[in-house]
Amino acid sequence: MKKTGIVFLLFITSLLQGQTYNNLWIPDTISGTQFNLNLKDTFAQLRPGNQTITAGINNKIWGPTLFFNKGDTVHMNVHNYLNDSTTIHWHGFHLPAVMDGGPHQIIPPGTIWKPYWKVSNNASTYWYHPHLHTMTQEHLTKGLGGFIIVRDPQERALAIPRRYGIDDIPLVLTSRRYDASNAFAYTNIAYGDYMLSNGTPSAQISLPKQMVRLRILNAEIERGYDIGFSDNRTFYIIGNDGGLLNAPVPVTRVKLLVGERIEILVNFSNDVLGSSLDLKSYNAGQTFGFPGGEPSSSGPLGSLLNNTNFNVLHINIGAQTANPITVLPTNLVNNTYWTAADATVNKSVNVTGGTPGNDFTLDNASFALSVINKTVTLNSIEKWTITNNNVFGHAFHIHDVEFKIVARSSGTVGVHESGWKDVVYLPKNESVTFVAKFDDYADTIHPFMYHCHFSNHEDGGMMGQFIVKSSVPTGLSANELTESDFTIYPNPANNKLFINLSDLGAEVYYLRITNVVGKTLYMLPKPQLTEGIDISHFSPGVYMVQLTHNKTKKTTTKKFVKE
Amino acid sequence: MRTSIQLIGVAFICLLLFSVFSFKDNSGLTEVFNLKLRNANGKPTALSDYKLTKGLMLVFTCNHCPFAKLYPARFNELNKKYSPKGVPLIAISSTDTITYEEDGFEQMKKVAGKKHFNFDYLFDDMQILAKKFGADKTPHAFLLWKNGNDWQIRYSGAIDDNGAEPDKVTEPYLAMAVDSMLMGKEPPYASTKSIGCQIHFRPKK
Repeated sequence: MKKTGIVFLLFITSLLQGQTYNNLWIPDTISGTQFNLNLKDTFAQLRPGNQTITAGINNKIWGPTLFFNKGDTVHMNVHNYLNDSTTIHWHGFHLPAVMDGGPHQIIPPGTIWKPYWKVSNNASTYWYHPHLHTMTQEHLTKGLGGFIIVRDPQERALAIPRRYGIDDIPLVLTSRRYDASNAFAYTNIAYGDYMLSNGTPSAQISLPKQMVRLRILNAEIERGYDIGFSDNRTFYIIGNDGGLLNAPVPVTRVKLLVGERIEILVNFSNDVLGSSLDLKSYNAGQTFGFPGGEPSSSGPLGSLLNNTNFNVLHINIGAQTANPITVLPTNLVNNTYWTAADATVNKSVNVTGGTPGNDFTLDNASFALSVINKTVTLNSIEKWTITNNNVFGHAFHIHDVEFKIVARSSGTVGVHESGWKDVVYLPKNESVTFVAKFDDYADTIHPFMYHCHFSNHEDGGMMGQFIVKSSVPTGLSANELTESDFTIYPNPANNKLFINLSDLGAEVYYLRITNVVGKTLYMLPKPQLTEGIDISHFSPGVYMVQLTHNKTKKTTTKKFVKE
Repeated sequence: MRTSIQLIGVAFICLLLFSVFSFKDNSGLTEVFNLKLRNANGKPTALSDYKLTKGLMLVFTCNHCPFAKLYPARFNELNKKYSPKGVPLIAISSTDTITYEEDGFEQMKKVAGKKHFNFDYLFDDMQILAKKFGADKTPHAFLLWKNGNDWQIRYSGAIDDNGAEPDKVTEPYLAMAVDSMLMGKEPPYASTKSIGCQIHFRPKK
């Protein structure tokens, strides 16, 4: 028995001391306007010995990268094959709250959820991830999530690297703690002990001798990264969470908190072919409150990586590609940002709780699904001030909008965070003010979230929700939807089911199809009904169609038979 | 760093030592032995229908789980080796078939045929056995041993310590437990952590 332990020790020691790297996995891509995402249990060989059970989207621990074009309407078909309910949130996207994938849009096991929206976000790097209240940490740790890359004409016109996996590299930074059976630990921990970059342990990549773009996402539970290269070279930030900056910002280090993305350009043109360097996180000696700077190497707030400088990606310089980008652009895009003067409404949020034995909260209230904490009027431009006079740093995220940071109490807003943002680092003893416009999508039922993006904190209740309310009536029929107001045909149906509403002014807010044993098969927010609903893959039998009226939110049910 | 690695090693060894304590609560196992279950071979079967003399390897598994899919060949080997010694293997599927149509009875019959199961594959559609034994993953093995007219669980947990790479298995836990019991010795581990897909228990209505 002891022998096994020793062999195990040797294994791990050799893994750490030896220069053994694994090639960075570049997630598969899906483009177009229909996106099929299948959430499943799977497993991966992450350590010597037994495999680790993970969850995956389309079979891998980190899901496919989705490519959207700004202006397209994208349709998501999210099929939950997990044995747990979950949600999938489209982080950073401006969309109707009912499509947002927050804690209210629960997808039960076996169900297909079909949200859709018109992409109005700028070209940038976004992501999708689970957001089920109290379960987010577990589902993220299991490996659910993926990148979304938005393209637009302004970004396409620039001479910057754009060849995915060649000179345009997605890089998601996470870490994991393992138990003795190589299973992921996800209870009572804030930090992993071993890096997983794109789901790859000890990752390396060959990058061409030219300008390379890295799209870096921090998808950790709590750890912040202070990113830099092992030779301290200058690199250039070209984009924040929600779009390109006006011009590249030269830095040698940049802090990246949970949920944040940066796009950087790094020039390898003058590197020697075959040489190597490392992309690292410099977490040693950080001020207390920077998450992942804590001294402990074990326990709930400790980690083998805490307070150390560690590799996130080993880079080997390879041959230059055809048509390389070698020159840094002087200017990128022309953003018109909101200023504090544009705001007509001020709101504040305070970090509270966090006393020993208690979870962090916002404004002294733990998150409750039934409580709307704030109301925003549609089309208003608001200034939110988030204050953290508490014991530790946080990463504040708000749904629905991209904002502009206009003030930090500690001094000026950094040039590295001067663009459109949806997550902001909130160090302790600091307040941050941002301005955003809440346009396009009002909904009196489904709220948007604002929360700390540390999933253990949001699971613990450090989250609030806001409703965007239209100031004018929507003009839709206020009459109750009754059974006689809609017909379904044909019945029995075979391939497609059509729904006819007798009131032309009425709209369906939500449509759900369940089978006789109560399993939900389809969840269709604001369904587009003209094309019919595809039921060709249903087994023959009796099904229920449940329609929720857009205005009254009353639900009516009808039966149909699938032949 | 090194201290931490040693700590992991110590924790690992502690875990192994801890697992030597045996599973004692076997109350009420006999009643589930009389429960008739649909059998992928066509004949409804209760565990009490088998002429069991020494022991039984009861394995909770299913069709859909990618980790469980790695094991049927090993189940065949275990049954082939130990059935003649009085310790057959019987597989049970307790997965919620409302969520996983792939785990339905017809699909169980297909998989058993296609993968040439040499063991019986029973359908616990009411999830009674899984709850009784406390099975939570697929695959999850239980070694039952006869003690007079009573049954005792002498091992529960993983089949072995490497799912995807059978040639790299260092500890075939279930086989080790059977070998020990056949020699009249305590199994080296009374339990290990079962690894695979969570068995989803249907919520009560």
